Amino acid sequence: MSFTIIADSTSDLNKELRDRYKIDYVTMNYVLDGVEYPASLDWESHSPKEFYDLMRQGKRITTTQVPRELFYDKFSANLKDGKDVIYIACSSALSGSYNLATVVAKELADEYPNNTVFCVDSLISSLGQGSLAIKASELRSEGKTAAETADFLISNRLKFNQFGTADTLEYLRRAGRVKASKAFFGNLFGVKPIIISDVNGQNYAYKKTKGSLNAKIAIAEDIAAAVENPQDQILYISHGDDITSAEQLKEIILERVAFKGVHIDHIGPIVGSCVGPGTIIGFCCGKEVTIKGE
Amino acid sequence: MQTSTISVKLWQDMLAGGYRNLKQNMSVIDDLNVFPVPDGDTGKNMTMTIEGGVFATQGDFDGIGALMTKFSRNSLLSARGNSGVILSQFIRGLAFGSESVNEFTPETFTTAYECGVKYAYNAVAKPTEGTMLTVLREGGEFLTKQNFENFKDCFDALIEELHRSLRNTPELLPVLKEASVVDSGGAGIICIFEGMQAVLNGESIDDIDIPVDSSFVDTSNFNEDSTLEYGYCTEFILQLLNCKTDIAAFRLEEMTAKLEQLGDSVVTVQDGSIVKIHVHSFSPEEVIRYVRRYGELVNVKIENMSVQHSEIEAAAAKHEKFAVIATATGDGIMEFFKGIGVSEVINGGRTNNPSADDFIQAFNKVNADYIIVLPNDSNVVLTAEQAAKLYDKSDVRVIKTRSIAEGFSALSMMDLSVDTIDELISDMTQCLPYVASGYVTTATRDALFSGVNIKKDDWIGLEGDTIYAATNNPIDAAMLLFERLPNIDEKQVITAFYGKGVTEDEVNKLEKLFSEKYPLIELGFIKGDQDVYRYIFAIE
Repeated sequence: MSFTIIADSTSDLNKELRDRYKIDYVTMNYVLDGVEYPASLDWESHSPKEFYDLMRQGKRITTTQVPRELFYDKFSANLKDGKDVIYIACSSALSGSYNLATVVAKELADEYPNNTVFCVDSLISSLGQGSLAIKASELRSEGKTAAETADFLISNRLKFNQFGTADTLEYLRRAGRVKASKAFFGNLFGVKPIIISDVNGQNYAYKKTKGSLNAKIAIAEDIAAAVENPQDQILYISHGDDITSAEQLKEIILERVAFKGVHIDHIGPIVGSCVGPGTIIGFCCGKEVTIKGE
Repeated sequence: MQTSTISVKLWQDMLAGGYRNLKQNMSVIDDLNVFPVPDGDTGKNMTMTIEGGVFATQGDFDGIGALMTKFSRNSLLSARGNSGVILSQFIRGLAFGSESVNEFTPETFTTAYECGVKYAYNAVAKPTEGTMLTVLREGGEFLTKQNFENFKDCFDALIEELHRSLRNTPELLPVLKEASVVDSGGAGIICIFEGMQAVLNGESIDDIDIPVDSSFVDTSNFNEDSTLEYGYCTEFILQLLNCKTDIAAFRLEEMTAKLEQLGDSVVTVQDGSIVKIHVHSFSPEEVIRYVRRYGELVNVKIENMSVQHSEIEAAAAKHEKFAVIATATGDGIMEFFKGIGVSEVINGGRTNNPSADDFIQAFNKVNADYIIVLPNDSNVVLTAEQAAKLYDKSDVRVIKTRSIAEGFSALSMMDLSVDTIDELISDMTQCLPYVASGYVTTATRDALFSGVNIKKDDWIGLEGDTIYAATNNPIDAAMLLFERLPNIDEKQVITAFYGKGVTEDEVNKLEKLFSEKYPLIELGFIKGDQDVYRYIFAIE
């Protein structure tokens, strides 16, 4: 392996995908009743059901960014081995991890002049960020260098589109991780926001629909409009412990767009604690995002 | 009495007679509701409309044309409800058709009447036969075929024809037939003409003292220690006078510009030589001195705005690009609408239609480039459109929401941060074709309606005008309504506004029954506090 690819807890890449694409990750933490748990993508502390049920019961779960030492250890271990690193970070609009990683990378640059840590702000999260990491892995297999891969990711990251809907904007609002237009004051019953990741990597509720079926149809139509070459792509869907809804979204999307395959998984604890149970998100690659939240 | 002409004085008395007779019969006409929902204020609406004309035309007039011009203008401004707007347009047509008439002959009266019918039809986008339009039109068609020498014969025959036409309305409009009633607006028209006929025959009609509308004035804000903080809301009607100005050369824009210097919230409307003016000013005497250069005042209303809370809010209204005005009844619904972004909620709806003037006052209170109006009742749509036409300080658009449910749907999809009015309207109207308006209320009489056997005081469940259920309790009525609604399976969200007197227990019970039966449909409750309807459902 020419270089190491590191993602983080918000990439929602399960063990199978991480193994297949040789992707490592650094963990953020979540805090429940004053106890800090590492946000394992393998759900070691709480199962998805346990985790989302706690939220359904009204438990407040907060999150922390990747600890400095973790970056330091992971980065320096690779550099010591003579390997370049690409860290594909959760959108800098949602987490401070990217900024911290760039600081750590700069500190290490003098110590290890022959190798480089490239930090890439994915400007997205969940399986959008995950599929950016998978893309990096594919480029690595094609023989691209770390520098070439990082360049490609930075110039193409806005082509990774997110279209999701949440049962309520409350979690996102509480976590300070959504920009919603004036349209969403109130939290109107039955009105479902369609949430994209905008040009700054901010979650943005850019339009609303009435009813959860209409929301899924809107997501499917948005994906159909944004996707390019779906026959070569996996459709990624992540969900906040609502597999029925995710499967329904899959069907509705596949009626409109023929993807090569589909991958459905849970939204991990970090993103999950910010969006809440019942959230479903579809990701695809295609046209560049141009929308910027107010 | 063999009257071959009607002088302006007699015509003036006849109009007053028509008004008084209508007012006496107001509640009878109100009761001719289109079954079974109390739809009931046709009588009141028509009375208020014509009252505006009668009150504004006291005193002497130089010919019927002049009288009618003023009468028409003021009926227009007082018009409320569908029936009121149609009546005001009929009067407007009468005025137009008698513009140069000094005294009516049966022939000139017929011409004016026909013109009135034309205007009345033009007021309505989709004229429905079997309503007052039909009654008016058939009266006109009858008049043109006759050749009366005197007015007694003319009115006797006309009224007979109007009665014949009215009796026939249930044949043209099935909803009337099912309810076994005649059209209430048509009945109102007959009351007016019969009142006029009585005066023509030398009878007098008492002016009964029923307050048609009363407004409460709270003076507690203004006492011996107060200072004038907000100025005066000054409203009057100005008759332009030839002896004071060249009416043909009179330019309303100039007057408006000058009034803007003397005050704010200026609204001016001109109809011929009549100008209706509304201005907020600290020195109304200056305003009056100024406008009297052009004519004389017909009526004046000057109110200290410190004693009018609603006007105080207007003074503070900050300029917005978009504002939304909606009508609603029920404290809960009104509060809720305000909470989700409506700037001004006008109290009104089925049983209390707001007037065009109510809308214009609301337009003045909000300070916006574009105003969207949600009438939220099929009987208010026309009034709102009329008000929008009369107003030129903002671009006013009416979204024809015919029910609270539709209004709610439009509001729930509203996004005031969009760039253009077209986007805003497109957002707000996108769900309207899919909204069903459900109601639970009590039946006002026994009837058989679309195969549903209804007893007076039964709880009935209806969607739009169609009754789906009649039973002995409101929860069953609601559940039966959902069960029988043809496309309930396509629905995703139901928002229920519950009315006065609904307990939490009842809401919980309905919610439980509903979620067991329809697990895939979301049902939410909002305290509406409305009268008449136990529940209003927005079914989307």
